[in-house]
Amino acid sequence: NNCPDKGKMRNSYCRVCDSRAHSSDRCPTIWRCYITIKTKDKIGMPQIWCYNCGSKGHFGDECLQQRSSRTPNLNGSSFSGGNLPKSLRSQYYS
Amino acid sequence: EGVPLDDKPIQQYPWIKNRDHSKQLELSDWLTLEIKDFINYISPSIAEIEARNNAVKRLRKEITTNLWPDCYVNVFGSFATDLYLPGSDIDMVITSDSGKYCAKSYLYQLSSFLRSKNLGVNIETIARAKVPIIKFIEPRSKIHIDVSFEKTNGLRAAERIQGWLRETPGLRELVLIVKQFLAVRRMNNVHHGGLGGFSIICLVHSFLSLHPRLITNSIDPLDNLGVLLIEFFELYGYNFGYDNVILSYNPTVCYLKKEEHSYLGASNTFALAIQDPDDPSNNISRSSYDIRNIKRSFIGAFELLTNKCYELQAASYKERLGQSILGGIIRYTGKERDFEDA
Ligand SMILES: [Zn+2]
Ligand SMILES: [Zn+2]
Repeated sequence: NNCPDKGKMRNSYCRVCDSRAHSSDRCPTIWRCYITIKTKDKIGMPQIWCYNCGSKGHFGDECLQQRSSRTPNLNGSSFSGGNLPKSLRSQYYS
Repeated sequence: EGVPLDDKPIQQYPWIKNRDHSKQLELSDWLTLEIKDFINYISPSIAEIEARNNAVKRLRKEITTNLWPDCYVNVFGSFATDLYLPGSDIDMVITSDSGKYCAKSYLYQLSSFLRSKNLGVNIETIARAKVPIIKFIEPRSKIHIDVSFEKTNGLRAAERIQGWLRETPGLRELVLIVKQFLAVRRMNNVHHGGLGGFSIICLVHSFLSLHPRLITNSIDPLDNLGVLLIEFFELYGYNFGYDNVILSYNPTVCYLKKEEHSYLGASNTFALAIQDPDDPSNNISRSSYDIRNIKRSFIGAFELLTNKCYELQAASYKERLGQSILGGIIRYTGKERDFEDA
């Protein structure tokens, strides 16, 4: 009950992603950092699969079904529309 | 936060010897370079490759000329796909056009042949198993060899995996890391509920084939092995719906819902299900009953890698020197290997 980490969690705030799920010094952007390829070709929407329910068309982070895993996904994962190139993001979220 | 930065001896992380990546601006790049160093370090030397090839050649020649002229001696598994770690077994299978070598008597014939010709020591004949095999040590190379009879599914799988490796950059690197990670924790033995080689390959292959950055060609996996390794542990440690989802190939990588394909295993129970691409009614990972612990170990790997990144992000250049990120999850305790030879 006196766990210092718990207290810290409650007050945590990340300036980088404007999130209360973690503090700035534990921000996933510290490691979720890609060397990207610059391509000019327009790409179509690829086939997307959901790690949570197994359906086609959305990523697990955006699944509307009840979460199957008992471990929480507080910060979001790589399997999210946010990880698509900008040109596809609006199409994905619409 | 209160964890002191220790200078761990290089003996535990021999791949960092003379390879300093502490000046990398991004920690994911540091980890990528460390993964490449590790792969270099554990990749077999020319002498090791030759010892393995010669052992196979010798056995093939002896068996086909002096015992059974109508049989084929094939290799499959990690030896055939080049995904073996130092000290891995060689999987061999005897096949024939007639299929006659599945009879038990041949099992005993081969084991006494190996004994009389000094081709094997510590020979064990396991006749009662579902897949009867002979296990022995090839005396010159000291390599452990398993021989099975008239089972061709391993050969088909090896061919398929060779194709995946050609068209999926990063697959070999991540598979070798995950294999070593599980091997150190003794979670890679299917006979004890662990993840077998083919299951590990399928997990990594599915992950790489469904990743948003890779399906849109926005990154080169070989430049991003570090972040991809962490995200592999993130997917299968935290997020994957083991109760509901089957890894599948139809004909390319996809998921299936367990409730619609109950023949692949109990529906909606916590268990890994991987549909065999060569036999859709077969679940490759059906004997991996220890998946709960494996999932837990993936969470541990994610936490160790990311915590090390947070710690190093806050550290000074001096404190970063000589540190290893990968060393948090991988140990290499075998005899020291010659880097230059690798
Ligand atoms: Zn953040
Ligand atoms: Zn879903």
